[in-house]
Amino acid sequence: MGDGAGLREAEVICAREAMSDHREPELYHAGEPESDVDEESDGLAGSGEVTDENCLLKKLEINVSEAEKRTGKNAVNMQETYTAYLIETRSLDGQPDTQNSPMDSLWRRYSEFELLRNYLSVSYPFVVVPPLPEKRAEFVWHKLSADNMDPDFVERRRIGLENFLLRVASHPVLSHDNIFTLFLTQDNGWKEAVNEANLQVKADSRLKSLNATFRVKNPDKRFTELKHYSDELQSVISHLLRVRARVADRLYGVYKVHGNYGRVFSEWSAIEKEMGDGLQSAGHHMDVYAASIDDILEEEEHYADQLKEYLFYAEALRAVCRKHELMQYDLEMSAQDLASKKQQCEELATGTVRTFSLKGMTSKLFGQETPEQRESKIKLLEEQIEEGQEQLKVQNAESREFVKNSWLEIERFKDQKNRDLKEALISYAVMQISMCKKGIQVWTNAKECFSKM
Amino acid sequence: MSGSSTPKSLPSSGQRALHDIKHPLSCSPGAEEEAAAGNGADVFDTPSPDLPNTEPCSIGEKDLSLPNGTPADTSSPASSSSLLNRLQLDDDMDGETRDLFVTVDDPKKHVCTMETYITYRVSTKTTRTEFDLPEYSVRRRYQDFDWLRNKLEETQPTHLIPPLPEKFVVKGVVDRFSEEFVETRRKALDKFLKRIADHPVLSFNEHFNIFLTAKDLNSHKKQGITLLSKMGESVRYVTSGYKLRSRPVEFAAVAEYLDTFALKLGTIDRIAQRIIKEQVEYLVELREYGPIYSTWSGLEGELSEPLEGVSACIGNCSTALEEQTEDMTEDFLPVLREYILYSESMKNVLKKRDQVQAEYEAKLEAAALKREERTLVPTDVEKCQDKVECFNADLKADMERWQNNKRQDFRQLLVGMADKNIQYYEKCLTSWESIIPLLQEKTEPK
Repeated sequence: MGDGAGLREAEVICAREAMSDHREPELYHAGEPESDVDEESDGLAGSGEVTDENCLLKKLEINVSEAEKRTGKNAVNMQETYTAYLIETRSLDGQPDTQNSPMDSLWRRYSEFELLRNYLSVSYPFVVVPPLPEKRAEFVWHKLSADNMDPDFVERRRIGLENFLLRVASHPVLSHDNIFTLFLTQDNGWKEAVNEANLQVKADSRLKSLNATFRVKNPDKRFTELKHYSDELQSVISHLLRVRARVADRLYGVYKVHGNYGRVFSEWSAIEKEMGDGLQSAGHHMDVYAASIDDILEEEEHYADQLKEYLFYAEALRAVCRKHELMQYDLEMSAQDLASKKQQCEELATGTVRTFSLKGMTSKLFGQETPEQRESKIKLLEEQIEEGQEQLKVQNAESREFVKNSWLEIERFKDQKNRDLKEALISYAVMQISMCKKGIQVWTNAKECFSKM
Repeated sequence: MSGSSTPKSLPSSGQRALHDIKHPLSCSPGAEEEAAAGNGADVFDTPSPDLPNTEPCSIGEKDLSLPNGTPADTSSPASSSSLLNRLQLDDDMDGETRDLFVTVDDPKKHVCTMETYITYRVSTKTTRTEFDLPEYSVRRRYQDFDWLRNKLEETQPTHLIPPLPEKFVVKGVVDRFSEEFVETRRKALDKFLKRIADHPVLSFNEHFNIFLTAKDLNSHKKQGITLLSKMGESVRYVTSGYKLRSRPVEFAAVAEYLDTFALKLGTIDRIAQRIIKEQVEYLVELREYGPIYSTWSGLEGELSEPLEGVSACIGNCSTALEEQTEDMTEDFLPVLREYILYSESMKNVLKKRDQVQAEYEAKLEAAALKREERTLVPTDVEKCQDKVECFNADLKADMERWQNNKRQDFRQLLVGMADKNIQYYEKCLTSWESIIPLLQEKTEPK
């Protein structure tokens, strides 16, 4: 673990040196899940090596290297424009000459990523499935375009999609999924494979429709808390992003208005004698100052993207809670059903009706059932009860398994989150520092000009 | 300017030199000198007697008669001397020869049945002999400053009088009794008096003396009224439609310069205000932004401290920004405003100068029509010519002074602006740098 920490440290330094390098965050993400796996196995340092070796990322180098605008016909034969992303993979199968092995590449569009993610979240309900980058630009400030085809947006999405693939590929569970491998490597027939494997898609829609209505009687406290946490996390990050966009907007204004000094100083300098030169060159520094904000805020968008990922992660976390709730609900329904059957059976056997029922009324009014009828009813009920007990046992086992797996997963996720966000905060602080330094530099230059006036 | 590029007198030794120069206005230099050498009372007894008499020498006489204090002062008045005196003026400005110090402070609010107003304490320290005491402290209100400025304009029409802050603030409804407004005005009034006190001619003006020393200024205020009406006549001698035959190039250039200058300052003023507005709005957002990290911190365990750290950092930056914005509002804008008003004052003096020249040209023309022989120019025309030349001399000297002050003031102002920004960024930098270790250290122990 010491090594891992050292490595991260090195990456932080790297990050500071190459702040403008867009690819840096993914490199970081690619590296980090190594230790996630540690947590997954038993939470102790150094013991996760085996799982680590098995994760897909060790065997395959993955890049989303290009985005391309395309036009085609959609399902209803309408002309549509979309962006396709080039996924490049290279096998790293332990050979020493890995560098030379050929690149495989294929194009996927955003909707296919969505399908993949949907498939993963249905197939692995206990996993906090990494989120996709936003479909439409959100939390934008005036200078940013909300257009889906905007090159900056497409570029940020490319980075986000690559990050998604790397996260899945390094996930201890998801990385072993065959459909995922096919997504990366199999140009044709992938969708069919998904459709075949994914018979449970309906379950997901059921989940959505039930979500609002059903109430679990005995909720698991841990999941209730987790759900509460994801709600709050989502609300706080979205608030943060909203205000950050406004902050960026204002900051942009402050810098750009300074640019006006550039022009007026230069015009003023034309009518001054001794002061002219100083004013003229100070005006130039004001232009530099105004222009510097573009890069600063462009960089800051990456920080916003990092936060956005966790905004969407909150939703993924909540999905796990919902699935648990659904499972718990089914479990409770089965138990309830079983209990009522047991009661019916008992009533028939003893002939007593504990509670007033319509059935009791009708039997009184229209005479008793024959003993044969009663016998067969009891028999049927007993069979059903046995079945129900069996089913309940299975459901209970499933539920326990789900809780166990999801809890491991959630612990893993929390570690990943803490690490990622700390890195994000560091890079944010580093950005602020570089902004301050730029500011000091420009104003020092300007001061020199002024003092020569 | 005038050909009298005589040897420039040194501050200490050459006090006579000035009088040796044949000043265009000085018909009988000797007489004035004697009168001037008398005492300060001279000036007091005859409150600006010169102008109404339309005595051409009067303006110059006044100038010459004023430096009756220390020998150094004698040489310093620039009004009537050549351009070369400028350098000397600079020395005086920066040097130890200053002997009149005025400050405006301690504003107080007075509430009467009729009105509510603010008075300011005007404190004077001086070694000048025109003052009976070395120190004075009086309370004056804006009206009094206004009176002083009017008096100065009346009695020293050839000089550039520093501007007063606007009587009413243009921007919407400003609370005239708010602390910020009073403080901004106090600073402007202080600057106004300091500029007069540093002026080699204006600082000897009797009304200035009265303003600084009189226990009851109101009695003095009543006296001046008749003068004002007489003044008006002389200024309005020529209709404004008159076109000057030959306005000296330097004055034409100054007028042009002032137009552009005021325009550019107006733009800078607007930019600065816009920046302040943007910064205030930015501050509002920052004030909301920082605490969100705190809220978030409440949800987290391991991340709690780093998030709290970021929140504190944003808080520090907000405070630094607020200070910076305040400094801009308090120190930057008033100087711009003063110079915008200054250029107005300057334009007014230029206009007066043009009128005086017009008067001369008109008379000259009339005289030329009357007698072709031209051997003798009538004395009143000559006097007029003298008056013009005197005006030119005074104004040129003041313009030089003004240019120098302006250069210094703007250097200081803009360097100050840069400094404030540097300080702001340095504060933010320190804050952000200080949380880096906090953010990093927690990653290790696991």
